Amino acid sequence: MSRFDRTQRLSGLKGGSSGRVITVLADHPGRIERLRALGVTPGAAVTVLQTFPGVVFLCDQTELAVEPAVARSILIEVADEA
Amino acid sequence: MSCPQVAVVREVSNPLLRLRARPRRIALAGNPNVGKSVVFGRLTGSYAVVANYPGTTVAVTEGRALVEGEVCDLLDTPGVNAVEGALSEDEQVTRRILSSDGADVIVQVIDARNLRRGLMLTSQLAAFQKPMVLVLNMMDEARLHGVSLDVQGLRARLGVPVIETVATDGQGIADLRSALREAAVPALAFEGGRDHARWAHDHALAFRSIRPHSAARLQARLSQVLRTPATGLPVLAGVLYVMYLAVGVFGAQTLVELLEDGLFQGYIHPAAVRAADLILPWRIARDFFVGDYGLVTMGLTYAIAIVLPVVSTFFIAFGFLEDSGYLPRLAIFSDRIFRFMGLNGKAVLPMVLGLGCDTMATMTTRILGTPKERLIAVLLLSLGVPCSAQLATILGILGGVSFGALMTLFLVVLGQMFLVGFLAARALPGERSEFILELPPLRLPQIGNVLRKTLLRVRWYLGEAVPLFLAGTALLFILDRTGGLAWVTHVTEPVIQGWLGLPASAAGVFIMGFLRRDYGAAGLFAMAQTGQLSGVQAVVALTVMTLFVPCVAHLLMIVKEQGARVALSILAVVTLIALGTGAGLNATLRLLDVTFR
Repeated sequence: MSRFDRTQRLSGLKGGSSGRVITVLADHPGRIERLRALGVTPGAAVTVLQTFPGVVFLCDQTELAVEPAVARSILIEVADEA
Repeated sequence: MSCPQVAVVREVSNPLLRLRARPRRIALAGNPNVGKSVVFGRLTGSYAVVANYPGTTVAVTEGRALVEGEVCDLLDTPGVNAVEGALSEDEQVTRRILSSDGADVIVQVIDARNLRRGLMLTSQLAAFQKPMVLVLNMMDEARLHGVSLDVQGLRARLGVPVIETVATDGQGIADLRSALREAAVPALAFEGGRDHARWAHDHALAFRSIRPHSAARLQARLSQVLRTPATGLPVLAGVLYVMYLAVGVFGAQTLVELLEDGLFQGYIHPAAVRAADLILPWRIARDFFVGDYGLVTMGLTYAIAIVLPVVSTFFIAFGFLEDSGYLPRLAIFSDRIFRFMGLNGKAVLPMVLGLGCDTMATMTTRILGTPKERLIAVLLLSLGVPCSAQLATILGILGGVSFGALMTLFLVVLGQMFLVGFLAARALPGERSEFILELPPLRLPQIGNVLRKTLLRVRWYLGEAVPLFLAGTALLFILDRTGGLAWVTHVTEPVIQGWLGLPASAAGVFIMGFLRRDYGAAGLFAMAQTGQLSGVQAVVALTVMTLFVPCVAHLLMIVKEQGARVALSILAVVTLIALGTGAGLNATLRLLDVTFR
């Protein structure tokens, strides 16, 4: 599989999937900065824990909860799809 | 590189106490929720209110610490995620302190599990070119998660002391004290042009190893149970029920009975009456203390016997929830609902705190992202969130009427909050911030910490509320004696009796309600106890009281947070909504011939 095939939005992943952050899309002011401050930066390891009612994922050792719009803007290179 | 100032001190051979003309200023800095305030408490020996969610340390706390016989000023700065780039208000405050003369030494506290995030901040802090010490806190949590850190390697790379601590137990604090003398400007300070995120990522990889660890699995499993709707919502119902038992039953019934009937009616009132008879020859003066609107018989009794037990039990229960890390998980459930009202899930924190005290909750709306969100949250708090004493009164009175009566009130109040929130979200200018929230690790609350925190909050409550209770009673006494109360009752009669269908004496209760919301609620409780309210009247009166104007302390806090103009607008809007809703409810219930029997 090429890297392109393995690229998905965080919102599209099922619980249990894991991978690494490729980038965060900036369609809301301040979003990139806030996520970066919490450790969501390119290369960070993420594991999706829950998808409803909000997306909860583990980034490094931090549990983060985000609304769907934010999860859609985080691009992940999937390593392990559940 | 070592700081020259520090080197001089080291030559002096161990004196008992050293004082400088200007004490050395040590600033604690770090990401939110890493245990800065606990470290602060350990170093100064005093206690700052510490909670398990971001935003508790809103202002800068200052204290004195003895470091190796030297008296130093210690500053606890607000938790920050960055000190460069686009900064929040808190981050700007912290940056100002750290970059100026405000700090001679920077002690950065890092959550050992989150080395990468911590180092991202280290990389930015280094640019201030000040002596630093790194504290890797919560080492017990880190070990539990199978995280091991190469402390020696990190120390060598950064050129600053790196100390491992478990601040809640006091582990490593002695090491930190001695390391403060060796604080050094990080080598990093003179290496320009790096990408902080990149640098932190690489260094976290180099100095940290993580093995999956079975002990962490229980914690992860528990966290999952709490945040998944299928299991989390039943748990939430259970938590609310236990809180009701603790606050509504034990606090508002058992303790209140013990204090009011036992202590006050049994001992204090008779003693006060005897004392007044003995000392005060004038009837009016006696009445001022022990009459119907007496300072002792009414003011002190309401404050100490009715409200204090409720507030104390609420703060104990809230302290447990806060320290366990449970509250932020509620934000996941409530995010969708709050988004509808122009807020996001984070707003659940001030709203839940509002169930204890709206004044305090108004202060914590600062944790919300945008001015618009803060305004909506302040408005909703003053409109619909009943404080603990009020809630206990509602449960006490309506519990005795019928379950339907209770549900009617909650549905009307919640409906109004949704409606007002929905309209405010669309009418007010500005933006909502996106929901991005860190879920802190679940911890077993330490009873000592919870009790200390409760004590601080109760002391705050007593200092703030009791004088207002007494002032309120005095005002009522004067109004009663000068005929003012009769006049107000007469003037408001068309509204109170006509629109709301309540006894005219309810006017006095609403005035009290403005002095302290809970005070008014206590007044309604007394009216219900003596059988002055029918079922419908109780529902209408309590609904109006819940929606009614915030109390004086709450109003002053709104003025402080949002300015006088906004505060007056909120006051006007809320009053109109409260009276309108009460009148509508009264008309509807009577039209449908509901009696709540």
